Amino acid sequence: MQCREFREIADSYLGNELIVETNHEVISHLEHCSKCRSELAARRELRSQLREAFIKAPENQMSPEFTQRLRTQLHDYAVGKRSVTPVSQRGWRSSVMVRRTSWLALAACLLLASAFGLVLVRQRISERSPQQGKEGVAGREPTPTYPAELNPGIPVSIVKTELARDAAGDHRDCAVHFRLAEKPIDLEVAGRKYDPVYVNLTKAVVSEQGEVPLGAEFVEAHSCVFQGRRFAHIILRYHGRLVSFLVTEIGDSNPAKTNAALASKGAQVIACSQFDGYQVSCFQTARHAVFIVSDLPEGDNLALARAVAPSVFAHITHAENPA
Amino acid sequence: MFAIAPTRESQVAVEKQWSAFEAEAMPHATSLFRIALWLTRDQTEAEDLVQETLTEALASFHRFTQGTNCRAWLVSIMYHRHSKRRKATTRLHLVSDAEERIAETIAFEAPTPQNVTDEEVLGALERLPRAFQEVVILADVEEMSYKEIAAATDVPMGTVMSRISRGRSLLRGELASYAKAHGFGESDKRRISRVSEDQ
Repeated sequence: MQCREFREIADSYLGNELIVETNHEVISHLEHCSKCRSELAARRELRSQLREAFIKAPENQMSPEFTQRLRTQLHDYAVGKRSVTPVSQRGWRSSVMVRRTSWLALAACLLLASAFGLVLVRQRISERSPQQGKEGVAGREPTPTYPAELNPGIPVSIVKTELARDAAGDHRDCAVHFRLAEKPIDLEVAGRKYDPVYVNLTKAVVSEQGEVPLGAEFVEAHSCVFQGRRFAHIILRYHGRLVSFLVTEIGDSNPAKTNAALASKGAQVIACSQFDGYQVSCFQTARHAVFIVSDLPEGDNLALARAVAPSVFAHITHAENPA
Repeated sequence: MFAIAPTRESQVAVEKQWSAFEAEAMPHATSLFRIALWLTRDQTEAEDLVQETLTEALASFHRFTQGTNCRAWLVSIMYHRHSKRRKATTRLHLVSDAEERIAETIAFEAPTPQNVTDEEVLGALERLPRAFQEVVILADVEEMSYKEIAAATDVPMGTVMSRISRGRSLLRGELASYAKAHGFGESDKRRISRVSEDQ
């Protein structure tokens, strides 16, 4: 290694950002070059001085009052006592809050009164038609806000409607708007860390030539977290629209039932539902649910899902049951 | 009458969650404040930003993966919040990369000066273009890795690496110019040569 080369990477060496081989080259060079040793010591000293000076600078100190107030407010927020008031709004905020609180109280009272009135009206109606009332208001399960799965062969406990909604949410917040709180990570890394099924999952969707069935185009593959649930996320482009291919672990609550259902259904893709305007197709393996989400017409979404399902089903099933 | 009284179990769970957050995230408040102050250049705005960041982090603390770098996660949230605030308050943001381009063209690699004061170091940092200041602060002061900086600032890793390298080089250049202008380098040389003669 030449001195010039050393100077170019000396900072990365100090920051432990070099690969092992280059590190060895640096150490070897330093053993013989006193000039570079001295330069390295000077850079280390400057870095340390910069850090200390910046941290100790009086203007960079948080005031004890703010520290205390921050802790108290966050604690109160955590235990649900109150919301956090921005520092810039403190002072005038209190008077505004009093007025706002009284308006809110009034609005809440009106809302409760309306709700109470509605309940009374519905009770009257059910009293008038007792048969209808039995099946309707009194003994009815809460009405789901979205339709359940359409395929009776798939156990409801496996492909849950909540899961499908999460999959649609992940497609919206990750693929379309890219606004997840947690940054996605590399799919292969996630495979080694969280779920071995993710390893080589991309190859089950994209051929070695980089081709996706039906002429779809591969965009990206990663692992992301939506509402606390981790997904393998492969993004494709089909007919100009983004399509999310999402795989998530669902456990194996009833293996006998699941295996029996799978034996008859195989990699059969079903039209799951629609959430927030997105088409969701899905199928499942023994321990994973697979969702294909897009804003394509239902037929296109389903066709793409069916085209990639066999290879993905085979890959996941193989990974779930390593021989 | 209409309030749902929290159960003992839920209270315990909430306190437990708070304790975990307090232990994991709160120690980074001062570090967040320094970065916030640098981002906003205003004490009150910086306090607001820290507060917003920690509130959002608290609300989504269940998503934080234990064992990963909490400070990098918090800094990432802070950059996201700051970006949203700027979008909300600024209709048109003019991106001036002229300084950056000028800095990129400077090919002078200065030797690292010694015997400079803290004020001189901070002054030199202040004179760097903002894009370079940012990465130098995150890397050398807050000791974040290239990868963490890229994730937090939403800048490609290659750009981060190049900016850090140029930023450090420019910082050394600033200090070297200052030292030369004030004769520090010369006196050092004289002092060293005197020591050599004495020996």
